[in-house]
Amino acid sequence: MAEAIRSEDGLEPTTATTVAEAGDRIESEAVDCVVTEYDLTDGTGLDVVGHLRDADPHTPVVLFTGVSPSEIDTASFEEMIVEYLNRDLPDAPDRLGFIVDDVISHSAQVGFLVPDSEGSRLEALAEYDVDELPIEESFSRLTDLIADRFDVAVSFIGLIEKDVENVLACTGSDWDSITREDTICTHSMLQEDVMVVEDINEDKRFANNDALQNLGIVSYAGANMTNKDGEVIGQVCVIDHERRDYSAAERESLQQYAATAMEILELRQSLRNARGVEVEA
Amino acid sequence: MSLAGRQTFAVDSLAIDDIPGNTSILLTSDDSDALEAVFYRLVAAPEDEQSVVLATESSGRSTKRSLKNAIRGADDRSTMLTCEGPDRGEGVQSVAELGDLTRLGMDFSELFAEAQQTEAPLRAGILLCSTIMGEVDDTRSVYRFLNSNFLSQLRRSKALGVCAIDMSADIGADIDSTVVGLETSFSARIDVESTGRKQATLDVSGLGDNDGTIEVSW
Repeated sequence: MAEAIRSEDGLEPTTATTVAEAGDRIESEAVDCVVTEYDLTDGTGLDVVGHLRDADPHTPVVLFTGVSPSEIDTASFEEMIVEYLNRDLPDAPDRLGFIVDDVISHSAQVGFLVPDSEGSRLEALAEYDVDELPIEESFSRLTDLIADRFDVAVSFIGLIEKDVENVLACTGSDWDSITREDTICTHSMLQEDVMVVEDINEDKRFANNDALQNLGIVSYAGANMTNKDGEVIGQVCVIDHERRDYSAAERESLQQYAATAMEILELRQSLRNARGVEVEA
Repeated sequence: MSLAGRQTFAVDSLAIDDIPGNTSILLTSDDSDALEAVFYRLVAAPEDEQSVVLATESSGRSTKRSLKNAIRGADDRSTMLTCEGPDRGEGVQSVAELGDLTRLGMDFSELFAEAQQTEAPLRAGILLCSTIMGEVDDTRSVYRFLNSNFLSQLRRSKALGVCAIDMSADIGADIDSTVVGLETSFSARIDVESTGRKQATLDVSGLGDNDGTIEVSW
């Protein structure tokens, strides 16, 4: 197994022979992909996957085994996705190296959706020196106004980075960042119009999301912050702890706030760029 | 290593120009009959090709009949996972529980790997993904299933893949918003609107010169 992986350029395997050893390794080392047999002396390959899902839900797993899927006990793991490769296939070793390389390259385990233009979107986002801009005070005043306007428990402005949503201002709570897979904004950013979820408990995309439940989120509305090239870099959102809907006028209003937040960000960045030129001159 | 040879895929019965390999199509309609008819015309394998089908609401016998109706002999060039009826016939394997995505994903991966033991170009399809979404507790696991066990396999085998969604289904979430999100994972979209008995308009995007509306009948 290790030889097949080592045969691919850039891949270096580290090995463990038991569930316990694999669990320790997963906790102490950064791994890009786990390849495991099903039958292990102290458990099964799916127990290894259980350890991994707690530590990093995005890491892909390949179950490389001669045990048929029909003989594998999935009772406790019904929504845990793994790649399966029968090690008895004639080309199994070649195929294993190829698959491991492929799943690492394409982050195949991602449980959220990304825009078609994710690469250029992230490049557009990187053009804003958010850490260096005096933006938080302006954004905080804006989220205060938004919370007041909609009479909601929480309003926030967040920028959507590769793996997390970075909350720049938040009225009604102290959110800092949220894993992208756990945010409703991950879905909202793909919609053309303001996205409203009246009650997350009635939507299976969010009902079993512990992070949202722990934050007390029940209803959500989010509007895109879109730059001049059409890239969505962030969201302006309102949250309530109870079910609610938003009228067409309210949705339009939220979209206007998102456009205002984008203008503030653009202006601050333009000012910073201009001052940089002055200093250089 | 290369897991596939050439590929373009002919879809003569729908008046669509050849589709390049490694194309993934999100196929949607609120008319289940029209959706099914177009699905099988995309996925049925002509001679020298093969199909892998996950059928969530039909038996092996019914699925084979539908493939055969689309292209004569396509049933003999197919393997399938079915969720209805007995596990009967060559190349038919049944799924015990549709909500068990761990098992479903492994079964699907195994079918793909076995199909790739030959050089024949591969067409693969899921009819209906909306049924799977209705069965699971957390839609995020369907995204992982599609990314890991379907789209990855298409990419590796340069296959043509079709994932069908019945827009009239109850998936436990806003289906329009969900499909807008799902669309980002696929390279093309075909929306089927029934216009009469055995007639439909296809609204095609992401398929190059095929983009636009196409009138079809069967």
